[in-house]
Amino acid sequence: MNISSRRKFLVACLGGIAAAGTGATLYPVYKYLAPKQADENGGKVSFRESDVPPGGAKFFDFRGETAVMVREKSGALIALSAVCTHLGCIVQWQTDKQDFLCPCHAGRYTPDGTVISGPPPRPLAKLPFTVTDGTISIG
Amino acid sequence: MTSMKRLYDWFEVRLGIKELVEKNLTGYLLPRNINCWYSMGSIILFIIALQVVTGILLLVYYIPEADKAFGSVTAIMNTMPFGWLIRMCHVIGSNMMILFVMLHMLSTLFMGSNKSPRELNWLSGFILFTLVQAICLTGYLLPWSQLSFWATTVATNSVGAIPYIGQFLVEFLRGGKLVGAPTLGRFYTLHITVIPLTMAAVVGMHLFFLERIGVSTPPFGLDNTKNRWPGGVFRYDDHPGGIPFFPNYILQDMTSIALYFAIFAAVVFFYPNIFFTKDSFVQANPFQTPAHIKPEWYFLANYQTLKLFPNEFIGLSIQGAAMTFLALLPFVDRGNEKLPLKRPLFLTCFIGGLILYIALSIWGHYS
Repeated sequence: MNISSRRKFLVACLGGIAAAGTGATLYPVYKYLAPKQADENGGKVSFRESDVPPGGAKFFDFRGETAVMVREKSGALIALSAVCTHLGCIVQWQTDKQDFLCPCHAGRYTPDGTVISGPPPRPLAKLPFTVTDGTISIG
Repeated sequence: MTSMKRLYDWFEVRLGIKELVEKNLTGYLLPRNINCWYSMGSIILFIIALQVVTGILLLVYYIPEADKAFGSVTAIMNTMPFGWLIRMCHVIGSNMMILFVMLHMLSTLFMGSNKSPRELNWLSGFILFTLVQAICLTGYLLPWSQLSFWATTVATNSVGAIPYIGQFLVEFLRGGKLVGAPTLGRFYTLHITVIPLTMAAVVGMHLFFLERIGVSTPPFGLDNTKNRWPGGVFRYDDHPGGIPFFPNYILQDMTSIALYFAIFAAVVFFYPNIFFTKDSFVQANPFQTPAHIKPEWYFLANYQTLKLFPNEFIGLSIQGAAMTFLALLPFVDRGNEKLPLKRPLFLTCFIGGLILYIALSIWGHYS
Protein backbone atom coordinates (compact mmCIF):
# COMPACT_ATOMS: atom_id res chain seq x y z
CA MET A 1 0.00 0.00 0.00
CA ASN A 2 1.58 3.31 -1.00
CA ILE A 3 1.49 6.47 1.10
CA SER A 4 -1.23 8.09 -0.96
CA SER A 5 -3.71 5.21 -0.70
CA ARG A 6 -2.86 4.74 3.03
CA ARG A 7 -3.56 8.43 3.60
CA LYS A 8 -6.88 8.15 1.74
CA PHE A 9 -7.78 5.12 3.84
CA LEU A 10 -6.99 6.96 7.09
CA VAL A 11 -8.93 10.03 5.98
CA ALA A 12 -11.91 7.80 5.13
CA CYS A 13 -11.68 6.09 8.55
CA LEU A 14 -11.45 9.41 10.38
CA GLY A 15 -14.31 10.81 8.29
CA GLY A 16 -16.40 7.77 9.16
CA ILE A 17 -15.64 8.12 12.87
CA ALA A 18 -16.42 11.85 12.72
CA ALA A 19 -19.72 11.19 10.92
CA ALA A 20 -20.69 8.49 13.43
CA GLY A 21 -19.77 10.81 16.32
CA THR A 22 -21.77 13.66 14.84
CA GLY A 23 -24.76 11.37 14.33
CA ALA A 24 -24.47 9.97 17.86
CA THR A 25 -24.46 13.54 19.20
CA LEU A 26 -27.21 15.00 17.02
CA TYR A 27 -29.68 12.10 17.36
CA PRO A 28 -30.17 12.45 21.17
CA VAL A 29 -30.35 16.25 20.81
CA TYR A 30 -33.02 15.92 18.10
CA LYS A 31 -35.03 13.39 20.13
CA TYR A 32 -34.75 15.59 23.22
CA LEU A 33 -36.05 18.66 21.39
CA ALA A 34 -38.63 16.94 19.15
CA PRO A 35 -42.26 17.70 20.15
CA LYS A 36 -44.25 14.95 21.82
CA GLN A 37 -46.31 12.94 19.34
CA ALA A 38 -49.37 11.96 21.39
CA ASP A 39 -50.84 12.35 24.85
CA GLU A 40 -50.41 9.67 27.49
CA ASN A 41 -54.07 8.61 27.06
CA GLY A 42 -53.53 7.88 23.35
CA GLY A 43 -54.77 11.30 22.28
CA LYS A 44 -58.42 10.68 23.38
CA VAL A 45 -60.36 13.42 25.12
CA SER A 46 -63.54 12.71 27.09
CA PHE A 47 -66.05 14.91 28.88
CA ARG A 48 -69.70 14.82 29.90
CA GLU A 49 -72.38 15.52 27.31
CA SER A 50 -73.98 18.01 29.69
CA ASP A 51 -70.81 20.17 29.45
CA VAL A 52 -72.04 21.35 26.02
CA PRO A 53 -75.38 23.17 26.39
CA PRO A 54 -77.75 23.49 23.39
CA GLY A 55 -76.55 26.39 21.21
CA GLY A 56 -73.22 26.44 23.08
CA ALA A 57 -69.65 25.27 22.51
CA LYS A 58 -66.85 23.77 24.56
CA PHE A 59 -63.20 24.37 23.66
CA PHE A 60 -60.56 21.81 24.66
CA ASP A 61 -57.02 20.70 23.93
CA PHE A 62 -56.86 17.81 21.45
CA ARG A 63 -53.46 16.27 20.54
CA GLY A 64 -51.71 19.56 21.08
CA GLU A 65 -54.20 21.64 19.12
CA THR A 66 -57.34 23.53 20.12
CA ALA A 67 -60.63 21.84 19.23
CA VAL A 68 -64.27 22.68 19.84
CA MET A 69 -67.47 20.69 20.41
CA VAL A 70 -70.65 22.52 19.33
CA ARG A 71 -74.22 21.56 20.12
CA GLU A 72 -76.65 23.15 17.69
CA LYS A 73 -80.00 24.35 18.97
CA SER A 74 -81.50 21.24 17.32
CA GLY A 75 -79.34 19.15 19.68
CA ALA A 76 -76.89 17.85 17.04
CA LEU A 77 -73.25 17.58 18.17
CA ILE A 78 -70.29 18.56 15.96
CA ALA A 79 -66.56 18.27 16.81
CA LEU A 80 -64.18 20.53 14.89
CA SER A 81 -60.64 21.75 14.92
CA ALA A 82 -60.79 25.35 16.24
CA VAL A 83 -57.73 26.38 14.23
CA CYS A 84 -58.70 28.82 11.46
CA THR A 85 -57.60 27.51 8.06
CA HIS A 86 -56.45 31.00 7.04
CA LEU A 87 -53.51 31.79 9.34
CA GLY A 88 -53.98 29.53 12.35
CA CYS A 89 -55.81 31.80 14.83
CA ILE A 90 -58.40 30.19 17.14
CA VAL A 91 -62.00 30.76 16.02
CA GLN A 92 -64.54 32.08 18.55
CA TRP A 93 -68.10 30.75 18.97
CA GLN A 94 -70.74 33.47 18.57
CA THR A 95 -73.67 32.24 20.65
CA ASP A 96 -76.01 34.99 19.41
CA LYS A 97 -75.23 34.38 15.71
CA GLN A 98 -74.68 30.62 16.07
CA ASP A 99 -71.53 30.67 13.96
CA PHE A 100 -67.75 30.87 14.31
CA LEU A 101 -65.79 34.08 13.85
CA CYS A 102 -62.04 34.21 13.45
CA PRO A 103 -61.02 37.48 15.20
CA CYS A 104 -57.77 37.79 13.23
CA HIS A 105 -59.19 38.48 9.74
CA ALA A 106 -62.96 38.12 10.21
CA GLY A 107 -63.31 34.69 8.63
CA ARG A 108 -66.74 33.18 9.37
CA TYR A 109 -67.76 29.52 9.54
CA THR A 110 -71.09 27.74 10.06
CA PRO A 111 -71.43 25.44 13.13
CA ASP A 112 -70.37 22.47 10.96
CA GLY A 113 -67.19 24.33 9.85
CA THR A 114 -68.20 25.45 6.34
CA VAL A 115 -66.71 28.82 5.28
CA ILE A 116 -69.37 31.57 5.12
CA SER A 117 -67.16 34.56 4.33
CA GLY A 118 -63.66 36.01 4.68
CA PRO A 119 -60.23 34.70 3.68
CA PRO A 120 -60.26 31.05 5.03
CA PRO A 121 -59.47 28.75 2.08
CA ARG A 122 -60.93 25.55 3.56
CA PRO A 123 -63.61 24.50 6.07
CA LEU A 124 -62.64 23.67 9.67
CA ALA A 125 -61.46 20.06 10.00
CA LYS A 126 -64.07 17.68 11.45
CA LEU A 127 -63.04 15.38 14.33
CA PRO A 128 -64.44 11.89 14.93
CA PHE A 129 -66.27 11.35 18.23
CA THR A 130 -68.61 8.93 19.99
CA VAL A 131 -71.26 9.44 22.66
CA THR A 132 -71.70 6.63 25.17
CA ASP A 133 -73.82 6.84 28.32
CA GLY A 134 -73.71 10.64 28.36
CA THR A 135 -69.92 10.80 27.81
CA ILE A 136 -68.43 12.28 24.65
CA SER A 137 -65.10 10.79 23.50
CA ILE A 138 -63.13 12.53 20.77
CA GLY A 139 -60.33 10.82 18.86
CA MET B 1 -10.08 27.08 -12.14
CA THR B 2 -12.46 25.02 -10.00
CA SER B 3 -15.37 26.66 -8.21
CA MET B 4 -13.81 25.77 -4.82
CA LYS B 5 -10.59 27.51 -5.78
CA ARG B 6 -12.54 30.56 -6.97
CA LEU B 7 -14.44 30.64 -3.66
CA TYR B 8 -11.16 30.32 -1.74
CA ASP B 9 -9.59 33.14 -3.76
CA TRP B 10 -12.63 35.34 -3.13
CA PHE B 11 -12.16 34.97 0.62
CA GLU B 12 -8.35 35.08 0.37
CA VAL B 13 -8.25 38.58 -1.13
CA ARG B 14 -10.67 39.83 1.54
CA LEU B 15 -9.38 38.05 4.66
CA GLY B 16 -5.79 37.03 3.91
CA ILE B 17 -6.48 33.42 4.94
CA LYS B 18 -3.02 32.22 3.88
CA GLU B 19 -1.32 34.71 6.16
CA LEU B 20 -3.76 33.94 8.97
CA VAL B 21 -3.08 30.20 8.73
CA GLU B 22 0.66 30.80 8.50
CA LYS B 23 0.66 33.07 11.55
CA ASN B 24 -1.67 31.07 13.82
CA LEU B 25 -1.31 27.46 12.67
CA THR B 26 1.56 26.27 10.48
CA GLY B 27 3.93 29.09 11.36
CA TYR B 28 2.94 29.20 15.04
CA LEU B 29 5.97 27.43 16.49
CA LEU B 30 6.05 25.81 19.91
CA PRO B 31 9.04 24.67 21.99
CA ARG B 32 10.46 21.33 20.84
CA ASN B 33 10.25 19.90 24.37
CA ILE B 34 6.55 20.79 24.78
CA ASN B 35 4.55 18.09 26.60
CA CYS B 36 0.95 16.86 26.89
CA TRP B 37 0.26 19.08 29.94
CA TYR B 38 0.16 22.02 27.53
CA SER B 39 -3.08 20.63 26.11
CA MET B 40 -4.98 21.11 29.39
CA GLY B 41 -6.26 24.49 28.18
CA SER B 42 -7.75 22.90 25.05
CA ILE B 43 -9.44 20.23 27.17
CA ILE B 44 -10.92 22.95 29.40
CA LEU B 45 -12.19 24.88 26.37
CA PHE B 46 -13.80 21.66 25.12
CA ILE B 47 -15.43 21.08 28.53
CA ILE B 48 -16.72 24.67 28.65
CA ALA B 49 -18.19 24.29 25.14
CA LEU B 50 -19.94 21.07 26.20
CA GLN B 51 -21.24 22.77 29.35
CA VAL B 52 -22.66 25.64 27.29
CA VAL B 53 -24.42 23.28 24.85
CA THR B 54 -25.86 20.96 27.52
CA GLY B 55 -26.78 23.97 29.67
CA ILE B 56 -28.75 25.55 26.81
CA LEU B 57 -30.53 22.24 26.19
CA LEU B 58 -31.45 21.96 29.88
CA LEU B 59 -32.86 25.50 29.79
CA VAL B 60 -35.45 24.30 27.25
CA TYR B 61 -37.32 22.31 29.92
CA TYR B 62 -36.00 23.61 33.26
CA ILE B 63 -38.42 25.83 35.24
CA PRO B 64 -36.63 28.24 37.62
CA GLU B 65 -39.43 28.34 40.17
CA ALA B 66 -39.13 26.87 43.67
CA ASP B 67 -42.35 24.82 43.35
CA LYS B 68 -41.55 23.48 39.90
CA ALA B 69 -37.74 23.27 39.61
CA PHE B 70 -37.39 19.80 41.12
CA GLY B 71 -40.32 18.49 39.08
CA SER B 72 -38.88 19.91 35.87
CA VAL B 73 -35.48 18.31 36.53
CA THR B 74 -37.19 15.00 37.34
CA ALA B 75 -39.14 15.28 34.07
CA ILE B 76 -35.92 15.96 32.14
CA MET B 77 -34.36 12.86 33.72
CA ASN B 78 -37.34 10.51 33.37
CA THR B 79 -39.65 11.76 30.60
CA MET B 80 -37.67 13.64 27.97
CA PRO B 81 -35.86 11.39 25.48
CA PHE B 82 -32.13 11.45 26.33
CA GLY B 83 -32.80 14.09 28.99
CA TRP B 84 -30.87 11.96 31.48
CA LEU B 85 -27.85 11.96 29.15
CA ILE B 86 -27.88 15.73 28.70
CA ARG B 87 -28.24 16.38 32.44
CA MET B 88 -25.60 13.81 33.38
CA CYS B 89 -23.18 15.36 30.87
CA HIS B 90 -23.82 18.77 32.47
CA VAL B 91 -23.44 17.53 36.06
CA ILE B 92 -20.35 15.40 35.43
CA GLY B 93 -18.91 18.03 33.07
CA SER B 94 -19.06 20.65 35.84
CA ASN B 95 -17.03 18.43 38.16
CA MET B 96 -14.57 17.65 35.36
CA MET B 97 -14.24 21.37 34.66
CA ILE B 98 -13.09 21.99 38.24
CA LEU B 99 -10.74 18.98 38.13
CA PHE B 100 -9.09 19.96 34.86
CA VAL B 101 -8.76 23.63 35.83
CA MET B 102 -6.96 22.40 38.95
CA LEU B 103 -4.70 20.12 36.85
CA HIS B 104 -3.98 22.99 34.45
CA MET B 105 -3.01 25.26 37.33
CA LEU B 106 -0.89 22.59 39.03
CA SER B 107 1.01 21.76 35.82
CA THR B 108 1.56 25.47 35.11
CA LEU B 109 2.86 25.95 38.64
CA PHE B 110 5.06 22.84 38.49
CA MET B 111 6.73 23.93 35.25
CA GLY B 112 7.24 27.50 36.45
CA SER B 113 5.12 28.80 33.56
CA ASN B 114 3.48 31.33 35.87
CA LYS B 115 6.76 33.20 36.33
CA SER B 116 7.54 36.57 34.71
CA PRO B 117 6.39 37.77 32.22
CA ARG B 118 3.24 35.59 32.57
CA GLU B 119 1.83 37.06 35.78
CA LEU B 120 -1.28 38.24 33.92
CA ASN B 121 -1.89 34.77 32.46
CA TRP B 122 -1.68 33.30 35.98
CA LEU B 123 -3.91 35.98 37.51
CA SER B 124 -6.58 35.68 34.81
CA GLY B 125 -6.41 31.89 35.19
CA PHE B 126 -6.84 32.25 38.92
CA ILE B 127 -9.90 34.46 38.42
CA LEU B 128 -11.26 31.80 36.04
CA PHE B 129 -10.75 29.15 38.72
CA THR B 130 -12.82 31.24 41.16
CA LEU B 131 -15.50 31.80 38.51
CA VAL B 132 -15.67 28.08 37.74
CA GLN B 133 -16.20 27.40 41.45
CA ALA B 134 -18.89 30.10 41.54
CA ILE B 135 -20.73 28.73 38.50
CA CYS B 136 -20.69 25.25 40.02
CA LEU B 137 -21.94 26.54 43.38
CA THR B 138 -24.81 28.49 41.81
CA GLY B 139 -25.74 25.60 39.52
CA TYR B 140 -25.81 23.25 42.48
CA LEU B 141 -28.97 24.89 43.86
CA LEU B 142 -30.98 24.76 40.63
CA PRO B 143 -32.30 21.15 40.87
CA TRP B 144 -33.91 22.22 44.19
CA SER B 145 -33.21 18.89 45.86
CA GLN B 146 -32.61 18.40 49.58
CA LEU B 147 -28.88 18.19 48.85
CA SER B 148 -28.77 21.36 46.76
CA PHE B 149 -30.96 23.29 49.19
CA TRP B 150 -29.02 22.44 52.34
CA ALA B 151 -25.57 22.53 50.75
CA THR B 152 -26.40 26.07 49.58
CA THR B 153 -27.65 26.92 53.07
CA VAL B 154 -24.32 25.83 54.57
CA ALA B 155 -22.22 27.48 51.82
CA THR B 156 -23.99 30.84 52.00
CA ASN B 157 -23.92 30.73 55.79
CA SER B 158 -20.10 30.78 55.76
CA VAL B 159 -20.17 34.36 54.47
CA GLY B 160 -21.82 35.34 57.77
CA ALA B 161 -18.46 34.89 59.54
CA ILE B 162 -17.22 38.19 58.07
CA PRO B 163 -17.37 40.74 60.91
CA TYR B 164 -19.96 43.55 60.83
CA ILE B 165 -21.31 43.02 57.30
CA GLY B 166 -21.44 39.19 57.30
CA GLN B 167 -25.13 38.83 58.16
CA PHE B 168 -26.08 41.53 55.67
CA LEU B 169 -24.10 39.76 52.94
CA VAL B 170 -25.73 36.40 53.72
CA GLU B 171 -29.22 37.91 53.44
CA PHE B 172 -28.27 39.83 50.30
CA LEU B 173 -26.91 36.66 48.70
CA ARG B 174 -30.00 34.66 49.66
CA GLY B 175 -32.54 37.40 48.99
CA GLY B 176 -33.97 36.73 52.45
CA LYS B 177 -33.10 35.41 55.87
CA LEU B 178 -33.08 31.80 54.66
CA VAL B 179 -32.53 30.02 51.36
CA GLY B 180 -35.81 30.13 49.44
CA ALA B 181 -37.49 31.06 46.19
CA PRO B 182 -35.62 34.44 45.94
CA THR B 183 -32.28 32.58 46.29
CA LEU B 184 -33.22 30.35 43.36
CA GLY B 185 -33.97 33.42 41.20
CA ARG B 186 -30.63 35.01 42.11
CA PHE B 187 -28.53 31.89 41.66
CA TYR B 188 -30.30 31.08 38.38
CA THR B 189 -29.53 34.56 37.01
CA LEU B 190 -25.91 34.34 38.14
CA HIS B 191 -25.55 30.82 36.75
CA ILE B 192 -26.91 31.45 33.26
CA THR B 193 -25.97 35.06 32.58
CA VAL B 194 -23.62 36.95 34.89
CA ILE B 195 -20.99 34.28 35.53
CA PRO B 196 -20.90 32.79 31.98
CA LEU B 197 -20.53 36.26 30.44
CA THR B 198 -17.77 37.15 32.90
CA MET B 199 -16.10 33.81 32.21
CA ALA B 200 -16.23 34.41 28.46
CA ALA B 201 -14.56 37.78 28.96
CA VAL B 202 -11.84 36.38 31.23
CA VAL B 203 -11.21 33.39 28.91
CA GLY B 204 -10.81 35.95 26.11
CA MET B 205 -8.30 37.91 28.23
CA HIS B 206 -6.45 34.70 29.15
CA LEU B 207 -6.07 33.74 25.48
CA PHE B 208 -5.14 37.31 24.52
CA PHE B 209 -2.32 37.32 27.10
CA LEU B 210 -1.12 33.96 25.72
CA GLU B 211 -1.23 35.26 22.17
CA ARG B 212 0.74 38.40 23.08
CA ILE B 213 3.51 36.85 25.16
CA GLY B 214 3.75 33.41 23.50
CA VAL B 215 3.91 29.89 24.86
CA SER B 216 6.33 29.24 27.72
CA THR B 217 9.13 26.68 27.49
CA PRO B 218 8.85 23.70 29.83
CA PRO B 219 11.98 23.24 31.94
CA PHE B 220 12.37 19.53 31.19
CA GLY B 221 15.00 18.04 28.87
CA LEU B 222 17.01 21.25 28.58
CA ASP B 223 20.51 22.21 29.74
CA ASN B 224 19.48 25.73 30.58
CA THR B 225 16.32 25.61 32.71
CA LYS B 226 16.39 29.29 33.63
CA ASN B 227 13.74 31.81 32.67
CA ARG B 228 14.65 33.27 29.25
CA TRP B 229 12.89 36.58 29.75
CA PRO B 230 15.40 39.45 29.98
CA GLY B 231 12.91 41.75 31.73
CA GLY B 232 12.38 45.46 31.35
CA VAL B 233 11.08 45.35 27.78
CA PHE B 234 8.24 43.56 25.96
CA ARG B 235 9.41 40.57 23.96
CA TYR B 236 7.33 37.87 22.30
CA ASP B 237 8.61 34.51 23.50
CA ASP B 238 9.20 32.87 20.12
CA HIS B 239 10.60 29.40 19.46
CA PRO B 240 12.69 29.36 16.28
CA GLY B 241 13.11 25.81 14.99
CA GLY B 242 10.20 24.68 17.14
CA ILE B 243 7.35 22.37 16.18
CA PRO B 244 4.34 23.88 14.37
CA PHE B 245 1.00 24.07 16.14
CA PHE B 246 -0.62 22.62 13.00
CA PRO B 247 -0.43 19.73 12.31
CA ASN B 248 1.91 18.61 15.11
CA TYR B 249 0.56 19.98 18.35
CA ILE B 250 -3.07 20.02 17.31
CA LEU B 251 -2.75 16.23 17.06
CA GLN B 252 -1.66 16.20 20.72
CA ASP B 253 -4.60 18.47 21.59
CA MET B 254 -7.02 16.13 19.79
CA THR B 255 -5.47 13.09 21.49
CA SER B 256 -5.80 14.69 24.92
CA ILE B 257 -9.41 15.70 24.22
CA ALA B 258 -10.22 12.16 23.00
CA LEU B 259 -8.63 10.71 26.13
CA TYR B 260 -10.56 13.13 28.30
CA PHE B 261 -13.77 12.28 26.47
CA ALA B 262 -13.19 8.57 27.08
CA ILE B 263 -12.83 9.18 30.83
CA PHE B 264 -15.84 11.50 30.81
CA ALA B 265 -18.01 8.99 28.90
CA ALA B 266 -16.92 6.19 31.24
CA VAL B 267 -18.15 8.21 34.24
CA VAL B 268 -21.39 9.24 32.48
CA PHE B 269 -22.28 5.68 31.46
CA PHE B 270 -20.79 3.53 34.22
CA TYR B 271 -20.79 5.77 37.33
CA PRO B 272 -23.54 8.32 36.61
CA ASN B 273 -24.46 8.75 40.28
CA ILE B 274 -20.91 9.30 41.49
CA PHE B 275 -21.62 12.93 42.39
CA PHE B 276 -25.10 12.27 43.85
CA THR B 277 -26.27 11.18 47.28
CA LYS B 278 -29.77 9.94 48.17
CA ASP B 279 -30.67 13.52 49.14
CA SER B 280 -30.15 14.52 45.49
CA PHE B 281 -33.32 12.62 44.61
CA VAL B 282 -35.63 14.20 47.22
CA GLN B 283 -37.33 17.56 46.70
CA ALA B 284 -36.07 20.39 48.94
CA ASN B 285 -37.89 20.62 52.25
CA PRO B 286 -37.08 23.85 54.13
CA PHE B 287 -38.43 22.32 57.36
CA GLN B 288 -36.26 19.22 57.42
CA THR B 289 -32.47 19.23 57.36
CA PRO B 290 -31.08 15.84 56.30
CA ALA B 291 -28.24 14.30 58.32
CA HIS B 292 -24.60 14.59 57.18
CA ILE B 293 -24.92 17.32 54.59
CA LYS B 294 -21.53 17.76 52.87
CA PRO B 295 -20.41 20.18 50.16
CA GLU B 296 -19.16 18.98 46.78
CA TRP B 297 -15.70 17.33 46.71
CA TYR B 298 -13.96 20.53 45.59
CA PHE B 299 -15.18 22.43 48.65
CA LEU B 300 -14.44 19.63 51.16
CA ALA B 301 -10.98 21.00 52.05
CA ASN B 302 -12.47 24.47 52.69
CA TYR B 303 -15.29 22.88 54.71
CA GLN B 304 -12.85 20.86 56.86
CA THR B 305 -10.59 23.91 57.38
CA LEU B 306 -13.57 25.86 58.69
CA LYS B 307 -14.34 23.05 61.13
CA LEU B 308 -10.74 22.92 62.41
CA PHE B 309 -10.82 26.42 63.80
CA PRO B 310 -12.98 27.36 66.79
CA ASN B 311 -13.77 30.69 65.16
CA GLU B 312 -15.26 30.63 61.65
CA PHE B 313 -13.76 34.02 60.86
CA ILE B 314 -10.22 32.73 61.53
CA GLY B 315 -10.92 29.74 59.26
CA LEU B 316 -12.18 32.00 56.49
CA SER B 317 -9.28 34.43 56.91
CA ILE B 318 -6.69 31.65 56.64
CA GLN B 319 -8.33 30.36 53.47
CA GLY B 320 -8.52 33.88 52.07
CA ALA B 321 -4.84 34.46 52.88
CA ALA B 322 -3.85 31.13 51.25
CA MET B 323 -5.83 31.93 48.10
CA THR B 324 -4.37 35.46 47.91
CA PHE B 325 -0.85 34.07 48.34
CA LEU B 326 -1.45 31.56 45.54
CA ALA B 327 -2.91 34.25 43.27
CA LEU B 328 0.10 36.52 43.85
CA LEU B 329 2.70 33.73 43.73
CA PRO B 330 4.53 34.93 40.57
CA PHE B 331 5.06 38.29 42.30
CA VAL B 332 6.49 36.53 45.39
CA ASP B 333 8.45 33.67 43.75
CA ARG B 334 10.73 35.78 41.53
CA GLY B 335 13.64 33.36 41.10
CA ASN B 336 14.95 32.64 37.61
CA GLU B 337 15.09 28.85 37.93
CA LYS B 338 12.11 26.91 36.50
CA LEU B 339 13.10 23.27 37.02
CA PRO B 340 11.29 22.00 40.16
CA LEU B 341 14.20 19.75 41.16
CA LYS B 342 16.43 22.81 41.41
CA ARG B 343 13.80 24.61 43.55
CA PRO B 344 13.70 22.54 46.78
CA LEU B 345 11.62 25.04 48.77
CA PHE B 346 9.06 25.30 45.98
CA LEU B 347 8.96 21.51 45.49
CA THR B 348 8.46 20.92 49.22
CA CYS B 349 5.63 23.49 49.38
CA PHE B 350 4.07 22.11 46.16
CA ILE B 351 4.00 18.49 47.31
CA GLY B 352 3.16 19.44 50.92
CA GLY B 353 0.31 21.72 49.79
CA LEU B 354 -1.08 19.05 47.49
CA ILE B 355 -0.97 16.39 50.23
CA LEU B 356 -2.56 18.84 52.69
CA TYR B 357 -5.38 19.65 50.26
CA ILE B 358 -6.09 15.98 49.51
CA ALA B 359 -5.85 15.04 53.21
CA LEU B 360 -8.24 17.83 54.24
CA SER B 361 -10.68 16.74 51.50
CA ILE B 362 -10.61 13.09 52.62
CA TRP B 363 -10.93 14.17 56.26
CA GLY B 364 -13.84 16.42 55.34
CA HIS B 365 -15.52 13.56 53.48
CA TYR B 366 -15.29 11.13 56.40
CA SER B 367 -15.73 13.57 59.28
